[in-house]
Amino acid sequence: MISLAGLSIGELAAFVADHLNEKGIDVVLVGGACISIYSENAYSSFDLDFIATGMTSRQKIRSALAEINFVEEKRYFKNPETAYFIEFPSGPLAIGDEPPAEITTLRYSTGFLRLLSPTDSVKDRLAAYYHWKDQQSLEQAILVARDHPVDFNEILRWSTNEGFAEVFNSIRERLAPHQKES
Amino acid sequence: MLEPLLGSISCERVLVFLAAREEGYAREIASFFTTSLAPIQKQLDKLEAGGVLVSRTAGRTRLYNFNPRYPFLAELTAFLTKAISFYEQDLQDRLLLNRRRPRRRGKPL
Repeated sequence: MISLAGLSIGELAAFVADHLNEKGIDVVLVGGACISIYSENAYSSFDLDFIATGMTSRQKIRSALAEINFVEEKRYFKNPETAYFIEFPSGPLAIGDEPPAEITTLRYSTGFLRLLSPTDSVKDRLAAYYHWKDQQSLEQAILVARDHPVDFNEILRWSTNEGFAEVFNSIRERLAPHQKES
Repeated sequence: MLEPLLGSISCERVLVFLAAREEGYAREIASFFTTSLAPIQKQLDKLEAGGVLVSRTAGRTRLYNFNPRYPFLAELTAFLTKAISFYEQDLQDRLLLNRRRPRRRGKPL
């Protein structure tokens, strides 16, 4: 098995996802780790949140992760070689009350990683900002939106559906300073 | 009433209490239903871990409410609201007609 020490968050997530995939467990990376990857660590997260997209038992996940030395401690899976830890939040895979529009696949030397798209990652962070007024989540959304192609019309549609169209319009300039509304 | 679906009477108590009151803490829910604290706390923990509830602290009390980001929240609350309407009138009243307006400390009855 390869050494996990020194792997970037993306490389490690791809390694874990590839291993789980070999065991018949399909996963999608969500949450702060996506922000970390898209922002090239301008925002650091040590928490790899995977959603298992099938009806996979916790026992099956536990056995598969044990093969790559990730051991369950309370709700988390930890490996002594790396500071990153893995969590499996309850599904479903959702942004607000909708499934994600698309899943992005990134290729690393360690494997393939399926994760939320930049647009859905921005929506995911905005959900925390909308519901809890969490400024850090807004800053993370900005980090992704400024460096990646993001569908702002889709985010407006979703924000409207969530009941936060006005809030989105008030922050749109911060998310995309050079984009004009369409 | 919902125990066959939810698997536990304590889970039903937690969910209907929060559907009716919007917010609550373990001892308050246990006291309302005159039941033990431990099974109520266990259900609160389980529902929070599952993303159905979120919690925050106020002083030394941990307050729970529904997670606004839970994808089935609208359907779940509609389901619980309907269930509450099937409870005996006395229980519905006790769940729904609690005092919510402020009351100054030390005010005589």
